[in-house]
Amino acid sequence: MRRPWLLVLVLAVVTAAIVVALLDSEVSGTGAENVGESGPEQPAVAPEPREEKRVQRRCKATQSNPGGTNNYIPGAPRRASLGSGFVITGLVRSADGCRPLEGVRIQVWLATQTGGEQDNRASVRTGADGRYRIETDPTVPQFGEPNIHVGYDDDEHGEVFIRRVVDLDDERAVVDLTLARDG
Amino acid sequence: MADLRAIGLVVAAGTVVALPLSLALSDRHLADASTALILSTVAGTLAASALAMQPLLARRRRIARHQLLGAVVLGLVLVHVGALFVESPGDAWFALSPDGPTRARMALIATVALLAVVALGALRSRLPLAPATWRLLHAYLAVVVIALGIGHAVLTDGALDDGGTVVLLACGAIGLLGVPAAHLARTRRGRERR
Repeated sequence: MRRPWLLVLVLAVVTAAIVVALLDSEVSGTGAENVGESGPEQPAVAPEPREEKRVQRRCKATQSNPGGTNNYIPGAPRRASLGSGFVITGLVRSADGCRPLEGVRIQVWLATQTGGEQDNRASVRTGADGRYRIETDPTVPQFGEPNIHVGYDDDEHGEVFIRRVVDLDDERAVVDLTLARDG
Repeated sequence: MADLRAIGLVVAAGTVVALPLSLALSDRHLADASTALILSTVAGTLAASALAMQPLLARRRRIARHQLLGAVVLGLVLVHVGALFVESPGDAWFALSPDGPTRARMALIATVALLAVVALGALRSRLPLAPATWRLLHAYLAVVVIALGIGHAVLTDGALDDGGTVVLLACGAIGLLGVPAAHLARTRRGRERR
């Protein structure tokens, strides 16, 4: 070996590049925070701003995150449940005024013990308090980690597609959405 | 004595292959899984077992088998990835994208290093590299492949959790300890020939 220091330098640079590439990634993918919960379901407390302040307030709209549309099939059928043992719930609000939105169609899809993401999908509508809720079978890993998808793509607001992760022993996932008219 | 040793090695190699494979195939994650997911899991599991044995073959001067197994590992990894694309193209592209999770980035880097280490082995006589340089490069890439490949499997929830994780860590430890052992043995033999 004529110039061992050169080889050592090259290997050190390659090692540093690998470390940087790994540290630069997010454990579950970009923006895929863990939204799993377990234990008894807490009663929802919907924000109810005073009437005169609603027009002044503006909440930050939820942004889609990478992977949100994975295995998405438009027009999920309206279903009361996808099984039992796991609950997906959340509050849907308007970015303008931050008020809860009633009657908004939210689509969810996930891999569970009884079906893959493309088989296991449903549309649910928010209630008067702006909340949606659907019970499913327990989640299973999809590409190495249990993950859930929540989407909105009707015309009234800009579309949003979310991918979030949970732990295998979680009983619930909470995904709140703030929808903007301009997307 | 030599026969007993050979039998012991065959039993050890059989255990390294059969234990993780049986754990994966009996896991409930694969109970109702698609053919593509089963194929991908089996290929990935066999690749992990092979990675544990590769340095030991090099150390014992079983170079033809070492080269053959290297090609087999590459084939298994390609089957593993190809089956995942069949299972869910959207998830597979996402995993390989810059937004993919850390475990997928580990797999991507390990695959690039695997291609490089196999190419290094196949082109050894044609490359203008000193033997010591070639050996160091080969050992370095092997460490990257084993550390990140097994690390990817450990971080992946699925058919090899709990007891499977312990087995994977053992495969990684055997492989990683085997690399410097093989490197030192090859370097020592090179000096003896001179």
